[in-house]
Amino acid sequence: MSSTSTQQSASSGGGLSLKSLTGGLSTWVIVLIAIPAILLIYGAFTTENFLTAQNIKTILRSTAFVGIFAIGLTFVTISGNFFLLSLEETAGLASLMFAFTLASGLDEGTGWLTRMFGFSDGLGLIPALVVTVGVAVLIGAVQGAIVGSGGNPIVVTLGAAGIIFGIASWTSNNAVIFIERPHPAEWLGTGLTATVPNVTWAFVVLAILGEIVLRYTSFGRSCYLVGASKDTAHSTGYNSFWKAVQVFALASVAAALVGILFAAQISQGQVSLFRAAMGSSGSLAISAIASVMVGGTSVFGGRGSIWQTVLGALFISVVDNMMVLRGFESGPRILFVGLTVVASISLYALIRRNRTR
Amino acid sequence: MSTITNKSKPVGASESPFARVQEWILINSQIVFTILVAAGIGMYFSLEFENYASWRNAFAILERFPELGLITLGFTVTIIAGEIDLSMGSIAALVGVIVVRLNDPIGAVPAIVVGVGVATAIGALQGYLIAILRISAIVFTLGTLMLLRGVSLFVANEQTVVLREFAFGDWLKDRIVIGEAELILSPASVIALVVFVLIGLFLMYHKWGREIYAIGGARREALAAGVPLTRPMIITFAISAFCAGLAGAIIGLRAGSAQPLGLQGLILTGPTAAFVGGVSISGGKGSAFGAALGTVTIALLQIGLIFLATPAYIGRLAIGTLLTVVIIVEIGARWLDRFQTRRTLLRRWTLEGEGRPQT
Repeated sequence: MSSTSTQQSASSGGGLSLKSLTGGLSTWVIVLIAIPAILLIYGAFTTENFLTAQNIKTILRSTAFVGIFAIGLTFVTISGNFFLLSLEETAGLASLMFAFTLASGLDEGTGWLTRMFGFSDGLGLIPALVVTVGVAVLIGAVQGAIVGSGGNPIVVTLGAAGIIFGIASWTSNNAVIFIERPHPAEWLGTGLTATVPNVTWAFVVLAILGEIVLRYTSFGRSCYLVGASKDTAHSTGYNSFWKAVQVFALASVAAALVGILFAAQISQGQVSLFRAAMGSSGSLAISAIASVMVGGTSVFGGRGSIWQTVLGALFISVVDNMMVLRGFESGPRILFVGLTVVASISLYALIRRNRTR
Repeated sequence: MSTITNKSKPVGASESPFARVQEWILINSQIVFTILVAAGIGMYFSLEFENYASWRNAFAILERFPELGLITLGFTVTIIAGEIDLSMGSIAALVGVIVVRLNDPIGAVPAIVVGVGVATAIGALQGYLIAILRISAIVFTLGTLMLLRGVSLFVANEQTVVLREFAFGDWLKDRIVIGEAELILSPASVIALVVFVLIGLFLMYHKWGREIYAIGGARREALAAGVPLTRPMIITFAISAFCAGLAGAIIGLRAGSAQPLGLQGLILTGPTAAFVGGVSISGGKGSAFGAALGTVTIALLQIGLIFLATPAYIGRLAIGTLLTVVIIVEIGARWLDRFQTRRTLLRRWTLEGEGRPQT
């Protein structure tokens, strides 16, 4: 059952984006899309231990974190603001905040913030979530405000990443904050529902929610509008400044959710939780950006969707998993993902150029 | 006041040197501001620590030129062209790995030539693709950042590569001695400074260098006026990759080892130094001199933080804050500029009835 569904999604990674791109395509563009699809299907059948229920669950679980990052990023990219480079730092800070507000056994000497407020009893799950998400909204909104008033998104978030990392390390004194087990967030991080990890469920729910918001709410539709043409949006009453604030806050919240889920999973929070080599490319944030781009969401704004991003994330995970099973080291794996990203950027740029001609 | 009268006068020998200095300051206000900031930072730390203002420290600052300086120069050139090359960190890491691996079998100089040659070729190819695909370089180089990480992992065999023959690396980082005097320069910083001068002259006086300013400042107008896009793009990205490659080679040889996933922090510090040095994100502004100033400012700050014995994350916090402040100042300046233009136009319309659009 589950094996065939993965196969379909894998092959449709090429097929569905093809459908959305029809019109004015040269044959070699179609060939370029078809080759990875065929390779993927071939690989799925010839790789040992690939088409097992266990492995597919592993793929889904490993996609979850990158996927949630990428869902938030999709809003930013569609509204024409490129990407955030501060996602990992935001997630690290969120894991810290979450552990800090939820922790029930704080040690002495974990930084001035702890000494100053010292929630030694913890706040409980819901307040901890609210505080963490609130901080993320603030972080994102500030970055969005600077970008909205004319800053380059990538440079602004690069600077913000430094600031967030610095402040988080400073307030926590670079310490690991452990959450004493059992804690109320444990079911979130390590629990299973219907034999599938709750982290995966969180990814699925957020993806569906994101797609609904993007497709059916006025907020989502105006993201497309602002991304497609700032001037048109401005003259129809949509302010690109507020849009930037909103989408950056949203992406930061998505990053914070990753931090919360991961902190809940390993029962600890730390700034540099996401700076260790994680994910298929050595960096979670870059994997997320890769997912958005491979999914075909236009970096020029105004085009793309959550399901495309999810497919992009799945595609990268599936390929990475397949290469691991075939005994490739991390160099060729990162190389392949990088190639896919560069190829997809170039491909979509070519298509766009052909369209505008 | 005097500057206004100066502007109306024809530029000639009759101007007093004082007025000319004043005019230069007005035109290059950003550079003057950066000099003041650098002087302020230097002054603060020299008053705080007696060892700060020393020849030893001057040497330490010049030693930042082969790494931070070259990266800053690369960022400056790409930002002048209205783009940003985010793959510089990966290119530096890749060349570091190549040079350290090739140093023992073929010797240091051929290894550097091969490594930097590979980098320049990669850069030129990137520039060509960015030009013909008409794609934002920031997005494209984010992809190649990843791709080149994979390549350098592959080249390094997934591990940190180590030198066995240290002679050249030691020669690079030791102070040059002429007769009795020990200079504050090392061969590495001399190489970096020569590159600075050459690229600075190229940008200032060569036609191909001016094209980079043209496509950065007002791309549409430049293209309409017949400036090609492909050539300046190729040159821009070849220069930035060359700088990154040379920096990676020198860092690798000096340290005696190279990590395939290292040097990524340069992506934060490099643009910060470039922005401090007076480039504008909208392109067309900046110089190699500004890049050098930016490098000195950042080096003064970072070395000062080392004197204060702060943890490493405070350094990142400071650089991040500096970058954000510079961006906000630039946005503010742009807004002020727009506001002033509007005000001047309005005044001209109401006073002289000149240039008012026909309704």
